[in-house]
Amino acid sequence: MEELHGTKEFMDSSAKEFKTELPVEEFVAGAAQADLSSGRRDFLKFLGFSVGAATLAACETPVVRAIPYVIKPEQVTPGMPTYYASTFHDGFDYGSILVKTREGRPIYIKGNKDHGHGSLNARINASVLSLYDSTRLTGPRKGSESTTWASADEAIKKALIDANAASAEVVLLTEPIASPSTLNVIAELKANYPSANISHVPYAPVSFEAMSQAYGTANGTPYLDFKSAKVVVCVAADFMNDFPLSAQYTTAYGSARKPEGKWMSKHFQFESIMSLAGSNADVRRAIKPSEEGLVLASIYNHITGQGSSNATSNITKGAAEALKAVPGESLVICGNNDIHCQNIAVAINEALGNIGNTIQKDKTVQLAVGDGTAFASLVSKMNSGAVDVLMMHGVNPAYDSPMAEEFKTGLGKVTNSFSFSSHADETASLCAYIMPSNHALESWNDHHVVSGHYALSQPCIQPLYDTRQYQGTLLAMSAKGGTYYDFIKSTWAGMAQGDATAFWNNALHNGSVDMGLQAPVVAAPVTVKSATQEVTAAAPTNTSGSVSTSIAAVEKTASSASGIEVVLYTKQGIGTGAQATNPWLQELPDPITKVCWDNYITMSPAQAKEMGFTLYMAQETPASVATVEVNGKKVTLPVVPVPGQKAGTVGIALGYGRGANGEHIGNAAFQTKEYGGYDLDDSGNKKPIGANAYALVAMVNGMASYTLSGATVTGTGEEYAIASTQTHHTIMDRESVLKETVLGTFKNGEQNDYNRPHTLKMHEHHEVVDKPIKEVDLWDPHPVEGIGHWWGLSIDLSSCLGCGACITACHSENNVPVVGKDEVRRSRDMHWLRIDRYFTSDMTKEKGEAEGIGTIDMYSKMEIPSENPSVVHMPMMCQHCNHAPCETVCPVAATTHSSEGLNQMTYNRCIGTRYCANNCPYKVRRFNWFNYKAYAKFSEVNPSQDMMGRMVLNPDVTVRSRGVMEKCSMCVQRIQAGKLDSKIKGIPVADGSIETACSEACPNNCITFGDINDTGSKVHGLRNDKRAYLALEEVGTQPSINYMVKVRNREETLA
Amino acid sequence: MFKEASIREPLILGNKSYGDITADVVGPIENKAPKGWYIAITISALIALWGIGCILYLIGTGIGTWGLNKTVGWAWDITNFVWWVGIGHAGTLISAVLLLFRQRWRMAINRSAEAMTIFAVIMAAMFPGIHMGRLWLGYFVFPLPNQFGSLWVNFNSPLLWDVFAISTYFSVSLVFWYIGLIPDFATIRDRIKTPVAKKVYGILSFGWSGKAKNWTRFEEVSLVLAGIATPLVFSVHSIVSMDFATSVIPGWHTTIFPPYFVSGAVFSGFAMVQTLMLIMRKTMRLENYVTIKHVEYMNIVIIVTGSIVGVAYITELFMSWYSGVEYESYAFINRFSGPYLWAYWAMMTCNVISPQLFWVKKWRRSLGFTFVMSIIVNIGMWFERFVIIVTSLHRDYVPSSWSMFHPTFVDIGVFIGTIGIFFTLFLLFARFFPVLALNELKSILKVSGEEHKNKH
Repeated sequence: MEELHGTKEFMDSSAKEFKTELPVEEFVAGAAQADLSSGRRDFLKFLGFSVGAATLAACETPVVRAIPYVIKPEQVTPGMPTYYASTFHDGFDYGSILVKTREGRPIYIKGNKDHGHGSLNARINASVLSLYDSTRLTGPRKGSESTTWASADEAIKKALIDANAASAEVVLLTEPIASPSTLNVIAELKANYPSANISHVPYAPVSFEAMSQAYGTANGTPYLDFKSAKVVVCVAADFMNDFPLSAQYTTAYGSARKPEGKWMSKHFQFESIMSLAGSNADVRRAIKPSEEGLVLASIYNHITGQGSSNATSNITKGAAEALKAVPGESLVICGNNDIHCQNIAVAINEALGNIGNTIQKDKTVQLAVGDGTAFASLVSKMNSGAVDVLMMHGVNPAYDSPMAEEFKTGLGKVTNSFSFSSHADETASLCAYIMPSNHALESWNDHHVVSGHYALSQPCIQPLYDTRQYQGTLLAMSAKGGTYYDFIKSTWAGMAQGDATAFWNNALHNGSVDMGLQAPVVAAPVTVKSATQEVTAAAPTNTSGSVSTSIAAVEKTASSASGIEVVLYTKQGIGTGAQATNPWLQELPDPITKVCWDNYITMSPAQAKEMGFTLYMAQETPASVATVEVNGKKVTLPVVPVPGQKAGTVGIALGYGRGANGEHIGNAAFQTKEYGGYDLDDSGNKKPIGANAYALVAMVNGMASYTLSGATVTGTGEEYAIASTQTHHTIMDRESVLKETVLGTFKNGEQNDYNRPHTLKMHEHHEVVDKPIKEVDLWDPHPVEGIGHWWGLSIDLSSCLGCGACITACHSENNVPVVGKDEVRRSRDMHWLRIDRYFTSDMTKEKGEAEGIGTIDMYSKMEIPSENPSVVHMPMMCQHCNHAPCETVCPVAATTHSSEGLNQMTYNRCIGTRYCANNCPYKVRRFNWFNYKAYAKFSEVNPSQDMMGRMVLNPDVTVRSRGVMEKCSMCVQRIQAGKLDSKIKGIPVADGSIETACSEACPNNCITFGDINDTGSKVHGLRNDKRAYLALEEVGTQPSINYMVKVRNREETLA
Repeated sequence: MFKEASIREPLILGNKSYGDITADVVGPIENKAPKGWYIAITISALIALWGIGCILYLIGTGIGTWGLNKTVGWAWDITNFVWWVGIGHAGTLISAVLLLFRQRWRMAINRSAEAMTIFAVIMAAMFPGIHMGRLWLGYFVFPLPNQFGSLWVNFNSPLLWDVFAISTYFSVSLVFWYIGLIPDFATIRDRIKTPVAKKVYGILSFGWSGKAKNWTRFEEVSLVLAGIATPLVFSVHSIVSMDFATSVIPGWHTTIFPPYFVSGAVFSGFAMVQTLMLIMRKTMRLENYVTIKHVEYMNIVIIVTGSIVGVAYITELFMSWYSGVEYESYAFINRFSGPYLWAYWAMMTCNVISPQLFWVKKWRRSLGFTFVMSIIVNIGMWFERFVIIVTSLHRDYVPSSWSMFHPTFVDIGVFIGTIGIFFTLFLLFARFFPVLALNELKSILKVSGEEHKNKH
């Protein structure tokens, strides 16, 4: 009734659950709280809320030091990367870069392919990690004590004023500077202290002075035009790695090596150690270092008829004939630092008409040319106490000079020593003051490395520590003052044609600007010139007289050589040693030996066998240790036999053995123990990685010589564990993994001759028919082909030179953990992308059959590489099979196939049975054996265990936990971003708009990414090319990645 | 009138009476354990503790504490798993298959063999668990309902089949074993004096009263369970073999694996039964129950299964050559001539050559010889799994990834530890459980009229 009428009482009471109020308050709280208005429902709400709050508070991971933006910076959108065009330059390597920053942090470096010299090597793209090195100095230091910038400034100012008053010697010792503004800053400094004798000494630990002098290209080497060189002859020149501008030359070289091109350049290499360039040569001859001059002399003799033939004439004949056939379109490069060899090389190039064509003397490359004579005189002046003020930047002579000991003694006698080093390294720790300079990614700078090409470096982040760019310090000491940024701008204003602001903005946007060779000179001239350099530069380089002197000199070198000869070289990862504490580079396998984390003595296997050293190195078979003694100096290192090395020679990489006196140069620079912690020597110092071979460098004619003779090698009887990512070195004649051919067969033959498709014999209608593998299938196909996107890669084995830039790029992009030497030794490297290196063997299946050798015998002979093998570099990553063996075996479906042809890992779902890795024919899956980001074993090596090092992690990619399988994702985060970008723009995904880290990093465009379903795409074309094949096609995995047959430009058989 | 005796040897020797059998079996449970038992259990428990320590270290630190690497993703873990599963085959075969075939000699050995099966399967089941990178998420392998997320398990994966095969086998074996134990527990309950033990055995015996109805049901259930268990004997190891057979790895991808694995499993299972029974018969004085005849029968099974295994090895070699596939043929050439040839030849010697010695009647009836052989066979069978797993993986398709496997102390510790746990469990079983199926044995005690007459 009440309901029908809707009386107020009813309406009131119907809202309540009970007709009469329950005496909850009385019952729960007693009379005292009867006046409170919280009902039963409120009580339940409170209860629910407090339980919920307590649960939330208990569950939530505490947030440590994440500071949100209060006001959003104009150019930063969280989740969106910002790229800055900049330039990398450290005196040896140079490249135009694009720095990817996320939320203000630089996390990745890629080549700026649109502007400037955008080819990078591993050292450049890994340099982003050194920004976050937590062992960098956090502020100025006086001795080993911290101090303030004000007091340090005061000290340096006082030193300069005193030196000025006393007309004393002031020396600025730096890396070879190619920065117009920096040179102007130095000029300003000189102007401010006119009475002081201020000089600037460029110092390069690995120097190409002889080449510079022979060509008469001051401060640099001539630009070599590999693009138009039809024949390249290298004598001890590893232009792909151990050479100025190596990454750019690699690109240019590669562009002339396309088998489909009108012509393919032919590459001859004469060298002692197996170098990266040598491993890619069409014809490679092993010679002793003392014969380098003879080889050049005999080529000169073959070409000009002058001089006389010598012992090497028969091996150089082929190269000389090839050179003669293409006058003006070839390159003869000598890589050693011997003026006589270089003189002969110049004469050959003159005779061939290469100078002015492929060798551009007016276009110089100002890299890696130091002034040895000036440095030597500096050291003697220091020792005599004549140097009043010494300022150093970008150099570490206490470590990498052959005169390190004298330098150190001399440094003690310098009244005022200042270092601008970012670390208290071997040299800086001996200086009175360290005024740490910024990291390059925190700095402004400009560069004029390649003539006519002006480049800018811009900061991508505020300085992380209390550091200051050294140019700023020098400016503050000069009368000019102001910031270095303004200073650069004013320098550049002098270059601008037209609107200076527009010019600057454009240059800053692009990272560089091409001014042509007629650009106005804006830099103060480098005034310090050693006597020899001036003399040689003035002297004519092509007179037969000087050539005959040089020929006589090299003949003398050859005849006086004795004992074992030593070659000192730099490795792909560590280079000169400046980045020796960078764990990405330490873990980058050497392209030839595949050894990480060490330097070693390379030796020919025959000689190693003769001397009783271990030939085969693996997890539990360590290398033998030997001592190389030359000129009274000793280096003790493990011996690694390398096929292709000339017997009677040994090679030792420079750049190792950093921090031998316990200098605090970086976490990853020292040996660690099996369960973590540093391995200490008897005196309690941390053991360095490898040994320093710079001490062996000899000074010849005032220049550093990296080849030595008269060495002895003696085994110490000790053993040393070597960590290598590859312990088996030959392909075992497995044609379905690796296919190669020679140019003649490729040009004139049918596809069957060099790329025979696999077929299966099947019975059909009472007949035996050959069916292509693809048509024989147990499974239903994944609906990938022809539907939507089908992402794939094409990898050209002809183009892959093995440099490893893709490996560090992948490391950086995909947060791949660094695992350290002990784990690599246990074959547990985590590289998502590896480069398999295969040496050829003398034994093949054909030969075995022809000779009637038993199968067992044949296979065991196949395991042994030839004495001078051909080399193949084969990048190997997840093949994204469309019938992936890994996908079917995972019990929890943690690895599945995407509708776009990707084989994807769901880390959250993975329980770590490793079945997928076992069942992968390509062995590309990587398991997280430990918690790399927290386990004590990796504290020293893995940057992710460091508060600073963690900042380099790519936020788009999950850091994997222990017990999870991981592998190449084909940079799925980039694919998603690219698709999203196209979606926003409302256009189909354009070919080339998405790049994987590896395809982007490759200096030689060996890896092509794209949509195979897009018939217009590059990758579609390549996949259907005559050279394209699928690795292990007959297993039926149907990879989305195809390889292209390697083509060598040589005859079938080597004479 | 010794008709039955002239045709067949009696299965139980020593003119036992029903009471004797009860006393012989229950006696050790009622009496104080001998000193030797304490020594044995101390040793095995210590080994077990070491193993458990290694397992905890493994779980706490990561699979990296084992010697596995990017190329060899399974080694001792799965070797041990397959080895233990194989050992776990004999029990159910003896009790179920021989029950169906009315092989009554099985009654003297089935209880221990089944216990061994249970313990071996426990050991085996542990390995797929601890070999996982993330053991704590191991429940992902069960097809759980959706509150755990929307993902379903992958029914294509042989590892998932393993989960079902092993859990089914384990539960059926356990039930079968336990059903058999019920009347025996009741006998102990009725005899034992201490009240606590009486209570415990009372609970364990499920209120067995020995009525004819109980016995009928007991027989029926046993027969039904035997019917269920028999196919499982063949399915478990067939499915385990498919972990390998369905893969693409040369040396694994082989169609003969299921029968080859099953016979290998029976082979190793019987060898392990021999090892255990020979020790138990001696220490528990069961010579009259477990006779030379039993030993000989089991040795015959070992010859047959060992020969099947040998033929399988040779077939594999032949097929690798006949296939004409270079990877396949290299995998086998590498097995017998590569870096792991010692493992291959250890396997061949132990599994193919040694069981053939049992053709000699004198040897197959020799207890000492049998004991040594049983251990050799189990060593050989361990190597067989090691050879299949490691030598196939360490050099497969792409030579750049070829590597070697080196065990760490954790690998060794976990393996030795499982042997310790196994023996600890078995010793506890021998102490507290009736080691012979005493009530069933009474059914084969030949107390014929003639014998009866002779007695009086």
